[in-house]
Amino acid sequence: MATVASAAPLISLVGVWKTYRQRQRSESFFGQLRSLFRPEIKHVAALRGVDLTVARGEIVAYAGPNGAGKSTTVKLCAGLLAPTRGTVRVMGFDPVKERVRFVSRIGVVFGQRTELYWDLPVASSFEWKRVVWDVPRERYERMRGFVRELLALDDFFHTAPRELSLGQRMRADLGLALLHEPEILFLDEPTLGLDVLAKRNILSCIKDLNRERHLTVLVTSHDMAELEQLAGRIVMIHRGSIAFDGDFGRLRREAAARRVLTLETGGATAPSLNGAELVGSEGGRHEYVFDASRVTIAALLDQAAAQARVLDVETHQLPIDDVIAGIYERWLNDATRGSEDVAAGEVRPPRQQEARVAGQVQVGDGHQQDGE
Amino acid sequence: MAASVAGAHRLVRRWLFFGRLDALWMIRDLGSFAGYAFSEGLKVLAAIATMLLLSERFDGVGPWTQPQVVFLLGFAVTANGMIDDLFGYNVAYISRRIGRGQLDHVLMQPQPMPLTLLTEGFSPAAGLPVLGTGLLLLAWGIGGTAAPASPLWFALLALNLGASCVVILAFAYAVGSLAFWAPRAAEEINSSSWSLITQLRAFPLDGVRPALLGGLLSVVPAGFAAWYPCRALLGLDHWRPSVVVTPLAAVAFALVALWIFRTGMAHYLDTGSQRYLSYGHRR
Repeated sequence: MATVASAAPLISLVGVWKTYRQRQRSESFFGQLRSLFRPEIKHVAALRGVDLTVARGEIVAYAGPNGAGKSTTVKLCAGLLAPTRGTVRVMGFDPVKERVRFVSRIGVVFGQRTELYWDLPVASSFEWKRVVWDVPRERYERMRGFVRELLALDDFFHTAPRELSLGQRMRADLGLALLHEPEILFLDEPTLGLDVLAKRNILSCIKDLNRERHLTVLVTSHDMAELEQLAGRIVMIHRGSIAFDGDFGRLRREAAARRVLTLETGGATAPSLNGAELVGSEGGRHEYVFDASRVTIAALLDQAAAQARVLDVETHQLPIDDVIAGIYERWLNDATRGSEDVAAGEVRPPRQQEARVAGQVQVGDGHQQDGE
Repeated sequence: MAASVAGAHRLVRRWLFFGRLDALWMIRDLGSFAGYAFSEGLKVLAAIATMLLLSERFDGVGPWTQPQVVFLLGFAVTANGMIDDLFGYNVAYISRRIGRGQLDHVLMQPQPMPLTLLTEGFSPAAGLPVLGTGLLLLAWGIGGTAAPASPLWFALLALNLGASCVVILAFAYAVGSLAFWAPRAAEEINSSSWSLITQLRAFPLDGVRPALLGGLLSVVPAGFAAWYPCRALLGLDHWRPSVVVTPLAAVAFALVALWIFRTGMAHYLDTGSQRYLSYGHRR
């Protein structure tokens, strides 16, 4: 997916750590009583020395399992949180220290939050934005016309958000976030709970904005297919460290040379294929998953032909969601193994510098982090 | 100079806008408007009924004559109405915004936080029933007392009303800041703190033991919500400088509240909000 990017970094995170304090609770009454006076505090690192740059005009998908540090990163970039260590610069601003000037140039949409006045027409919330953001009248009129058309808001512009569907409300929220012509848009799970059509509309609008207005977008989501449609680049975060930074094609190639092979043999018994794992068998159709970097399709077909009469063959890449699910599963398994070695909650030094190789998926070895 | 003019312009512009928004909200449908006005009327009645009936039955309370009690009640309700007018919409009940993680919405606005808090809750239409009742009671009380109704005295009345509002708000912010550290447990702490002030402010506190009175002028400053400024304005303590005690106390309480709130904000920026509830964020 092409995005319109220029070289100058607009977002820059250098060695960013975010550590939260977690009070440990005892299951016993006396333990709880003791912790009233001598609380046991665990320090949990939500981000561990994250380095990230985003160029102007890029759309970057920011993905990772629950608790990986996605929302924490968005909040740091939006000035809603201060880093424990490291430097966050967005358009040259320190988002926390220069908040007022900074937030006038960004747009933020959290999927489960709204800025719209619930009982008043959407139009009133737009007016609110104009007044509080001090948007000049000419720009306001122009942008209002633009987002009304782009997001097809006309049908419900004078309706109160409480009477709108979730998709309509999200479009209105997105329109509101764009009204002051932000240079960067932070989207945290923007399509959560939306149906397929509503999702498609929102994604298409974001792509149009990027193409036509060179808007820089940092978007988090659990829906990989959606992210792939939207972004050229994906940054995957795992346990607070960036585990992959590259394009989706590379992610597929490097993380998942795994492909699906479907054989139709007419017989109920599936041929046994070395180098391929049988994942399903029904009505003479047998589905395998294999690693194309280790075994060729030709070799598998030779094995199959030796055992049964092959009527039809079909092969395709794993859907991106399955690729990512596989990666998360491996991380999770590794974390379970790693937790035997790593004390839960212990803050560890950044491994990223020594271990991270851009464009390669790495398997971490710690514990699941909390902090989102 | 230019900066302060621009600042005043922004403030007024926002007040005008939020005032219009509030009026739109009030008249969005007749049923809601009637329900709201009725419940506000009951709220005012509940706040003043006991003291009004006691002063009617005994022709005053302690050293306070009946018109002076009416003035006291009028002062208390007017201050309440001013706060409702200027700091409605959970700005005065700040623990709700903090506890529900809604300060993020404030931080995303490109203006200083005090400007947001000073304007976002401006709701002249919603606060009108309480403020109107308070002003009527105040006029009734002034008419019955021997208050020197000079321009200077009215200026001092306005100053003391403003100072009482500041004391009450400072108390609310100092107490409500607890929600920075205990968001779930302290989310509704401002409901309790407001209830405490509302119940205590209508009582003439003369004759109360010094230790208790000291507490009611410091730890829970209900004495500054109406009793002390009214006593000073009506000349009941025969000490002229007492009319500036409440304004001075307001400055002190505001500084303490500001320090606590800023400490809480630093904690909020460090830890973020661990929970988010949309309830009450946008009406």
